[in-house]
Amino acid sequence: MLRNVSKIISPELFTIKKLDASLAALLTIFALGFVGPTIYPVQPTAVVGPLETPPSQLYPLGTDAYGKDVLAQLMAGIRGSLQIGATAAAISLLIGVLIGLVAGYKGKIIDNLLMMLTDIVLLLPSILLMILVAAYFKWRDPLLVSIIIGVTSWPWVARAVRSQTLSLKNREFVNLSKMAGLSDFQIVIRDILPNVASYIFMAYVLLMSGAMLAETGLSMIGLGTTQGATLGNILFWAQVLEAVRRGLWWWFIPPGAVLVAMAASLLMIATALDEYFNPRLRGS
Amino acid sequence: MPTISPFIIYILRKGLFIAATFFAFLLIIFALPRAIPGNPVAALLTQIFQQAQANPDTVKAVYRKFLEEFGLHKPLHEQLFDFLSRLMTGDLGTSIAFYPRKVADLVASYLPWTLGLLIPAILVAWALGNLLGAWAAYRRRTRVDNALLPAFLVLSQVPYYWLAMILLYVLAVTARVFPVAGAYPPAMSPSLTPAFILAMLHHYTLPFLSIVIVAIGGWAIGMRVLVIYELRSDYVEYSELLGLSDKKILGYVFRNSILPQITGLALSMGTVMGGALITELVFSYPGTGYLLFRALSTLDYPLIQGTFIILVSTLLAANLIVDILYAYIDPRIRVSYVGD
Repeated sequence: MLRNVSKIISPELFTIKKLDASLAALLTIFALGFVGPTIYPVQPTAVVGPLETPPSQLYPLGTDAYGKDVLAQLMAGIRGSLQIGATAAAISLLIGVLIGLVAGYKGKIIDNLLMMLTDIVLLLPSILLMILVAAYFKWRDPLLVSIIIGVTSWPWVARAVRSQTLSLKNREFVNLSKMAGLSDFQIVIRDILPNVASYIFMAYVLLMSGAMLAETGLSMIGLGTTQGATLGNILFWAQVLEAVRRGLWWWFIPPGAVLVAMAASLLMIATALDEYFNPRLRGS
Repeated sequence: MPTISPFIIYILRKGLFIAATFFAFLLIIFALPRAIPGNPVAALLTQIFQQAQANPDTVKAVYRKFLEEFGLHKPLHEQLFDFLSRLMTGDLGTSIAFYPRKVADLVASYLPWTLGLLIPAILVAWALGNLLGAWAAYRRRTRVDNALLPAFLVLSQVPYYWLAMILLYVLAVTARVFPVAGAYPPAMSPSLTPAFILAMLHHYTLPFLSIVIVAIGGWAIGMRVLVIYELRSDYVEYSELLGLSDKKILGYVFRNSILPQITGLALSMGTVMGGALITELVFSYPGTGYLLFRALSTLDYPLIQGTFIILVSTLLAANLIVDILYAYIDPRIRVSYVGD
């Protein structure tokens, strides 16, 4: 597994321009979220100034309808969205990889049942399932929101991991392990998993951008986390308090722009990795 | 035994799977409130009951009605049987927020706005996205592709509703070219007069564009990759050697690449629907998204459930239509079902 990760992170990889630009954008946003508050120590929940002031030297991104600082909220929102995105993606990945490995390796009836389940969840739109589940919880902490997003977003991972497992399980090195008397569990962990590691890494990146977008969607319909700030939460209040129709652009443009920048960077990183692993896509 | 056309068998199989999915979805709808600790529906009933104590006459009748509709005092299997048999007759219960209106009637009056927005937007984005993606693939390693691909990648990650906010701000609030809210002017009532239709299209433009512009990105990315793969296949090389025109070869490539995009169309509709519901909120567009938001903010569980049942059945029906279309277009599918 470790050997594969080091294969992913070779110097050659960083010659892909798209990847460098995306990493730079991501790091800038991370810095804004994690280092920013030490340079700009304003409480995101405190009322710090006049209501609805446009950006100025005192308030770099202005204030909202309660007089709270938008930049401070944005920094807290980046952390909140990243936390939910990272947790939800980990949950999806765990479910998707587990189902994919078991279905692909075990085959037969187990495969049929698991793929039927996967296809059913795939056919039901995840955002609708998320809204439906979240509607029944009055209080939603970031972990609950992550779980709701995680348990509805795994099917495409399961399908991809399954088809990769299917093509791997009849290779010679797997047969050798079988002849050596290794158990199914050992074979999956030692022979199959390392070979899908690069895909799993890519899937995590994509799941994370999807989860952050899903969090924003849930928040916009009023079902995001009820604890702490996220980019979706900022957009929700801007929407509910009519920021757009009242021309308060500094309230709704920054959180959306940061979200899109993060999601697009993650997607570009995944695309760059895909091109790196599939030379066919790189062109002749 | 008369031979059944493989095409029919394929459609039956697909239909059966979609029916199974719908049943699984109904089970989720039924089980969710009952599985969550403290049963939120029971909690809501208790709340209505407490109001009934203070205001015995009217609210008590409401309480009895909901108690009967949910039947929470009965054993689980009877509740499930009641739930399913009421659904069979098209009864989705009574709304709490809009009491005493029936959920089915409410959703039926909001649904046309959502479908009227969704269906054209999905189809236009699909067509434009595929054309642009194929163009980018054809112009691979040129300035066209280098400019288009990053644009598609970024676009595909923009939430519809955020683009909606920006379009609304720029074109309606600042430039005042389009109206700021609704599906038609509040002073007009829906009719088929030219004046009304014109006003309706005027209100329609921004919500429509918010969905189309974003959705183009995803389709274009997918099509670009498909065409790139296809351009490397043997038949393309052979056709080139035969001296066929670029235009003719591209026609073949496009036709072969578009097939997976049709399957993609079926799978993506749900995501687009989810995003479009929230986009309706931004424009105060009177569709099911707006209705769902009202239902969610008042914890109107019958209305929430009913809206979801109707949205998901619409989606599954659309899926079946796309599947049938796909089988009709691609003869390989029909053949694969007789193992020929």
